[in-house]
Amino acid sequence: MRESAAASPLRRIPGVAVMLALLVGIFGTIAPGFLSLANISNVLLQSTILTLLALPMTLIIMTEGLDLSMGAVVTLTSLMVAIVSLATGSMLLGLAAAIVVGIGFGMLNGWLVAIAGIPPFVATLGTLGMAQGLCLIVSDGQSVVGIPRAVRDIYSATLAGLPVPVVVALIAYAVFHVLLYHTRFGTYIFALGGNREALRYAGLSPAKWLIGAYMIGGLMAGIAGLFMTARMNAGHPTAGLGLEFDAIAAVAVGGTSFERGNGWLFGTVLGVIAVGVLRNGLNLLALPSSLQVASVGFLVIVALFLDGLRSRS
Amino acid sequence: MNLAVHEPHGESDQGQEHRGRENTGPGSQAVSAVPLLELRDISKEFPGVKALDGVSFPVWPSEVHMLLGENGAGKSSLMKVLCGAYRADSGEFYYKGEKAVIASTADAQRLGIAVIFQEFSLVPHLDIAQNIFLGREPAGRLPGTIDRRRILRDARKVLDSIGFDIDPSIKVDRLGVAQQQMVEIAKAISQNARILVMDEPTAALSDRETELLFALIARLKADGVAIIYISHRLAEVFAIGDRITVLRDGRRIGEVRPAEATPDQLVRMMVGRSIDLSYPRNFAAQPGKVLLEVRGLSANSGISDIDIVVRQGEIVGLCGLIGSGRSELARAIFGADTITAGDVIFDGQRMTDGPDLAARRGIALIPENRKSEGLALLRSAGDNLVVAALRKLFPTGLFEPPRAFGAANDLIQRLRIATPSARQPVGLLSGGNQQKIVIGKWLAAGAKLFIFDEPTRGIDVGAKSEIFALIDRLVADGAAALMISSEQAEICHVCDRAYVMREGRIAGELSRHELTEENIVRLGMHHA
Amino acid sequence: MTDMTKPVVAPPGSIVSGDLMQLLYRLSAALLICIILALLNDSFLSLGNILNVLRQTSLLFFIASGLTLVVLTAGLDLSVGANVALSACLAGTVIQHTGSPLLGVLTGLLAGGIVGLLNGVMVTALRIPSFIATYGMLWVLNGLTYWYMAGETIHGFPPGFRQIGSGYLFGLPIPVYLLLIFLAIGTAFAQRTIWGQEIYAVGANPVAARLSGIPVARRLLLVYGVSGTMAGLASIIFLARLNSAEADIGESLTLPAIAAVLIGGTSLFGGVGTVFGTFIGALILTLVLNGMNLLSVNANWQPFITGVIVIVAVWLDMTTRRHKL
Repeated sequence: MRESAAASPLRRIPGVAVMLALLVGIFGTIAPGFLSLANISNVLLQSTILTLLALPMTLIIMTEGLDLSMGAVVTLTSLMVAIVSLATGSMLLGLAAAIVVGIGFGMLNGWLVAIAGIPPFVATLGTLGMAQGLCLIVSDGQSVVGIPRAVRDIYSATLAGLPVPVVVALIAYAVFHVLLYHTRFGTYIFALGGNREALRYAGLSPAKWLIGAYMIGGLMAGIAGLFMTARMNAGHPTAGLGLEFDAIAAVAVGGTSFERGNGWLFGTVLGVIAVGVLRNGLNLLALPSSLQVASVGFLVIVALFLDGLRSRS
Repeated sequence: MNLAVHEPHGESDQGQEHRGRENTGPGSQAVSAVPLLELRDISKEFPGVKALDGVSFPVWPSEVHMLLGENGAGKSSLMKVLCGAYRADSGEFYYKGEKAVIASTADAQRLGIAVIFQEFSLVPHLDIAQNIFLGREPAGRLPGTIDRRRILRDARKVLDSIGFDIDPSIKVDRLGVAQQQMVEIAKAISQNARILVMDEPTAALSDRETELLFALIARLKADGVAIIYISHRLAEVFAIGDRITVLRDGRRIGEVRPAEATPDQLVRMMVGRSIDLSYPRNFAAQPGKVLLEVRGLSANSGISDIDIVVRQGEIVGLCGLIGSGRSELARAIFGADTITAGDVIFDGQRMTDGPDLAARRGIALIPENRKSEGLALLRSAGDNLVVAALRKLFPTGLFEPPRAFGAANDLIQRLRIATPSARQPVGLLSGGNQQKIVIGKWLAAGAKLFIFDEPTRGIDVGAKSEIFALIDRLVADGAAALMISSEQAEICHVCDRAYVMREGRIAGELSRHELTEENIVRLGMHHA
Repeated sequence: MTDMTKPVVAPPGSIVSGDLMQLLYRLSAALLICIILALLNDSFLSLGNILNVLRQTSLLFFIASGLTLVVLTAGLDLSVGANVALSACLAGTVIQHTGSPLLGVLTGLLAGGIVGLLNGVMVTALRIPSFIATYGMLWVLNGLTYWYMAGETIHGFPPGFRQIGSGYLFGLPIPVYLLLIFLAIGTAFAQRTIWGQEIYAVGANPVAARLSGIPVARRLLLVYGVSGTMAGLASIIFLARLNSAEADIGESLTLPAIAAVLIGGTSLFGGVGTVFGTFIGALILTLVLNGMNLLSVNANWQPFITGVIVIVAVWLDMTTRRHKL
């Protein structure tokens, strides 16, 4: 497959694969019930939402950018799904609302970074605050319950024997794969991070494509919002806050570099699973979720340090 | 040679998006009476320096036109004007006899001009094919997709046409420098470039790779492509040049054919000028003690086995072409780069640490890029003047503005820095005054060894002599100076003696009476 | 200095001339906001409200002041809020177990300082960009704090200790005095010590600073260490004020701190800004949020407004900086 041969940023066995193997090995040994079929399928199912976010985050990070607002935007879109589907009785309208809001924030982020030239981490930090605020405002700080059955069913339904979220995640992966490796857009994503000047020499406008990257992030946040509400069977004003961190962790652990315009989509997927396995394993060991977060944080720092080493050698 | 590769671009009948010039047909093999491109009286001026002064220059197809000149002669400005990166202040372009305008990179591209710069415009993690066709990818079935098979096929065709046998699906960052250069050339060819400008293309190539490049150039020539080739290597000039133009001080000095010229003649054309420099210089009768001794110094930056000595009261020149390692040597002495072998001994002590130690011991570095490395442009003249002397002026650690102010004003007066006040942001001052501030910074710090890297670059004539007078006073007061400069005339007038570097090593040392421009150029350019 | 033939010019490094104008503009903006609020709402000028604004400004200022030094070096510390939370919980625990407020204070400062130094190490030795290093640290601290507290709250501190946060002296809240003290210390450090001057130099041009003999890595460690220690200090005040410690007290502190720094005129790109400016920035932000409260604007709008303010402040910083040179 072209991707693993040509796109892998590492010329030896990818670190994330090793990490994943180690994690599975360790938890398989010491965590009770880890290797059971029920548990593994649970981990994979729970990873689907993160996958939907980590895929566009990979693209954004490849452009030497970052989207810190993703978690807050997902929370907002999940609230939109809840509120709109509750009000109209239609899951599809809820999804539409979520997507509109998601793309809206994506456009805002893209505009701030590409046109106003504000450094991405500050721009998305600001929009994080904005999205977080909107979450509180539209929900008035309360959970939104009593949403139509159709929404909840989306999470538990199956298609061809697989849970719908997993199917959607797989489709998303396929789409992103084609996007990154077989379209002009994907080519330009590499250029945005690797050598932006080359785009200008070629007569293209970097801004347009950069905004596109952030808009796709918003779109995916919209879709992820649907699944989030479906999973919780409610809309919570703080549910998704911090998901951007897991997404960034997955991308970093997966081997995508923050500074050179190199990205490995499959690595991100492995990274998502690695993060999921880490959390799940620690969970089974009765470690509180707070320490899980700390561990993921530590993992990110290690991954970044290694990435820095690699780019300097 | 098969030029079928160009056809797809003209064929746009499948809704493919191929930007770039319309195919105006393969280069005419017939002898034309009119040059493919002609520059007439092109001038380009920057504040303080005239980069190009009425340069006229014909470009004929199927020819390698060598462009020779010292550092700062105007070669790179000419290149940038040709590719549309700079807009000429005056003069005209004629394309195939008709007046043309080159005001942007798009204009240049439309005329078939492509420049292969030293810093390539390749995207590292894309493959060769993607790089060649960046912005002009062949479309696949779904809108926005790329036809992978087609792009690889087209890339293969282009690569074949220049004799470069390589798998176009390899990522560009895996290629060596020589290969990346070939990709750049392939990119230019795929855009129907009929005029290729190459800037020191063999600088990073091995002998074998150079041969391959020359073979490629021969093929392109046979194809009707005109090649403008900038080089310092006289051997190359005579090996593949068809025509030689020499620039000096922004002016075109002359045009000769290699068959009719000799290396000495070329050197004389490059350096000969009527010099009317009245730099004051009081040569020390007897140089003082050894202040700096460098033994067998090598560094990762490319310098190897350097031995030099600098004494109190001396101004020692460091010459050589761009890329010969002068700045790298300066940085290694100052501790800004890591040393892999050898010693730097300053005032009897071995220097092992970074720049902060060097600065505190008394070594000063006045960098070539004073704006990005020597000054904090946003801060005031006063801030910049005292920044290296903080510990000396305020040993208790408490910063007292009046005393800093006093020291700054003192320096401003002594060095005659033209600034409305010590509070003026340094970025607003002229080049000469900025340079004085960098020097003043080290004066305040009490430095004993001053390393200058191109001290008079971007400074007008009046300020230049002031700078030299300043340096003269410094060494008269007991300091020592190591001066890197590409202005051979200045080196000859000002330095007690000079080292000439070539490709990372010391090519030779010239004593006072041996110090002539021609000797410098000769030592710097000969191949071993 | 009394040479009458020379025009009077400002000494290098002092807060006068160009910098002064910027501060005056901001001070007038603050004044304007006060006037508007006074006109819009009667209770704005009430004693209780004024004291409240001053106290809130102090709390914000403690965090933002250390952060200012980091931003001056063109860096960022996103972990300050989480740092406050962890330090507060640790300090609170110590006070409860030992009964000694002094030990608690030392714990808070030490914890904050250590976190700060760790950030500094990541930025200097590990060469991780500051925003991402401190972002990772944010989550590590967050996780550790929640795990440590295990959902519980620490209550009830000795009344003497509580005075630090809730007490009054001559009618003014004690935190305000601390504000003035640290404002003076911060300003003195930045403007009147050579380390302060070197920090400005590092922010304005780190390459030139290094080539001028400034030990850049050591100075960076210093600023991150100070930022962390100030977060530790803030945690003590919070502890004293709230009379309790919970894991979530840091969540909504980082963004306002950054906003205060930016409003105060410190540039994200380094080399420009003052501690006094951050004080004014903290004041302005507090006034805006206070005004929103008084005007019965839904409190939920606060994070939104803060986010917008951050974006606008950065944008203004970028446009004016381009005009400068």
